[in-house]
Amino acid sequence: MDELIYTLKQQIIEALNLEDMTPEDIDENASLFGEGLGLDSIDALELIVLMEKNYGIKLKDPAQGKEIFKSVAVMADFISKNRTK
Amino acid sequence: MTRHSVMITPDSVMVNGKPLAHKENGAALLTELYRTYVGDYPKFFKMDTLCKLGFVASELLLQAEGEPRFVPREDRAVILFNRNASLQADTAYQATIQDPDNFFPSPAAFVYTLPNIVTGEIAIRNKYYGETSFFVMENDDASVISRQLVNAFQDPKTLSILNGWVDCFDEDHFEAHLFILDKLPTYDILEF
Repeated sequence: MDELIYTLKQQIIEALNLEDMTPEDIDENASLFGEGLGLDSIDALELIVLMEKNYGIKLKDPAQGKEIFKSVAVMADFISKNRTK
Repeated sequence: MTRHSVMITPDSVMVNGKPLAHKENGAALLTELYRTYVGDYPKFFKMDTLCKLGFVASELLLQAEGEPRFVPREDRAVILFNRNASLQADTAYQATIQDPDNFFPSPAAFVYTLPNIVTGEIAIRNKYYGETSFFVMENDDASVISRQLVNAFQDPKTLSILNGWVDCFDEDHFEAHLFILDKLPTYDILEF
């Protein structure tokens, strides 16, 4: 799981153009939206694309995103249980 | 009457006609200008090159102007012009949907597939609630630009316009030439 979390942080940094950030700067338990990383709605869409592109996970219900994108750790847990690639 | 101007090309930066020292060229120049003279707007890194260009040019221009920033105002319009619209962002977005077997439309690329996103970014950053427009034209035609600016001043609320040319073909070919134009009591033709 630690490896997946680290890889996921790298993918998030790249997909969301979080310049100046390293995986070590992201607390896997911190909120991705709001006060955590401060992501916005477009970023949420990019995360959905990221999950589909890299892990073959299609979110059919956008409301799922609220739960899945709570933190990197929650996201990684969801990916590990649902990935198809 | 114009006061203050900024010109940025891939290898030069001029503020009020004086060169600004820099190390980088091309798109890296825009990032250098952001880090050196702005630094407090991380959304910059999500912008396409056209937006980055318009944004840093407007920042240098408004810093040169020296008036209080980020105070809500309705008396300033933002009117920009270019030739290539949002071509670079369009191309980047097209690349994400080109291959049927690797079809992942990028929302972050898509949001910049309109040139007027630049005027919106500048207005949002500075709390400008006046007119914002972005005109796409074949050439940098001063008479057409003048007419649009004169028309904008027909709105009695508009007392100044952040305006000019912001064009980007790709990361190595771009040009911004921005001005602040004040409304004069009477005039018919603007001279550039």
